[in-house]
Amino acid sequence: MSAGESDITRSLADVTPGAIADALASDGLWLDLGAVTLNVRSDSPVLAVQLKAVYGHYPFIDKADWADAHIRIMQARGLRRWMRPQVVFYCDGRLAFDPFPADSPLPLLEWGANWLVAQRLNDLLLLHAGAVERDGFALLLPAIPGSGKSTLTAALSQRGWRLLSDEFGAFDPAAGVFRAMLKPVALKNASIEVIKDFTPDAVFGPVFPKTRKGRVAHLAASKVSVQRRHDTARPGAVVLPKWQAGSPTRWEPLAEHVLFPALSFNAFNYNLLGEAGFRAAIALVRQCPGWQLIYSDLDDALATINAAWPGIVERHAQVEAS
Amino acid sequence: MRCFARVEGILVEPVGHLWAAFSPATGETALLNDESASILEVLEIEPADTTAVCVLLSSDSGIAPDELFALVDGSWQQLTEAGLVRELPVTLNNPQ
Repeated sequence: MSAGESDITRSLADVTPGAIADALASDGLWLDLGAVTLNVRSDSPVLAVQLKAVYGHYPFIDKADWADAHIRIMQARGLRRWMRPQVVFYCDGRLAFDPFPADSPLPLLEWGANWLVAQRLNDLLLLHAGAVERDGFALLLPAIPGSGKSTLTAALSQRGWRLLSDEFGAFDPAAGVFRAMLKPVALKNASIEVIKDFTPDAVFGPVFPKTRKGRVAHLAASKVSVQRRHDTARPGAVVLPKWQAGSPTRWEPLAEHVLFPALSFNAFNYNLLGEAGFRAAIALVRQCPGWQLIYSDLDDALATINAAWPGIVERHAQVEAS
Repeated sequence: MRCFARVEGILVEPVGHLWAAFSPATGETALLNDESASILEVLEIEPADTTAVCVLLSSDSGIAPDELFALVDGSWQQLTEAGLVRELPVTLNNPQ
């Protein structure tokens, strides 16, 4: 749901870190991600700078009527704050998760926000997948372990595809479309350098060297992706990526009995949605052709997807016309 | 002989070479082969025991009922655990 934006003419990039810090310290900062709006409050002295780095294109909203979740990232109290300062995550007044180091409020916010979305947005089928859009259709990259879906999603988002999410394929069964859950792409370990080499002018936040998932950095969503975060996308295609060192690029069609479990059994809330989840997953499998993409060269992987895409769009156009 | 009924409200859809079957009783989805899906289709008509299911499947497939018996009899546990069929408290031959 969209917040009532108090000042849509200014983005976070247009205001000072002090203004962001003031908002965080008072009524909060509203982050409108497309399908969900978060209200974030914090007394962290570094969160404002970190948010400005990776949410720079988002509207600066410091007054609104609605948020789907209220988050507080606060400095931990107690004696240990003198020895090893930490920040903690509260949602709707309740403490959640173990604390993070005080210099890492952004990874805590990102991780906690993903957890909240997965818990709360049960009007949507939340596939665990990267999602990008082109020509009005969504391309899904389900998160099979070792798939490198965030790397490929990030690369596509830097080469003409609109980023919807690197974590959630948020399918609205009632409308039959995907919605954006637009946040920075969280890249881990070697993927950070892969994308920095792939797109030297990509905008990154700080690197956090010692999170529980290793080294993490956040890639900012492009301006156009942020501007279009309320635009939906029709189901387009599914690609199961698999990065394999030294492998030539392989592009092989997948049958529905492979696609169905890859989408449904990998979703955050499939079982919770019951019959609605089943019907939604079946609808997606019927509409979306699927391929396995095995690759080692990112440029070649993108060229393969880009070459196949016009045929996919044409196929959808024929189905819609018939 | 034990008799089984299809659980009300289950959804069965073909997905490639398999079938996806959702059970409202368990909230779970199972992937089934053609044989298990055929058993569910037979039970859509009425509850049946293994022998009756084999006779109906035989007429459809041309395979002798005796050859189908072990396959059908061995499917009940998986289908029951998946919440797709339920065993009736009485047998067909000796209803009380």
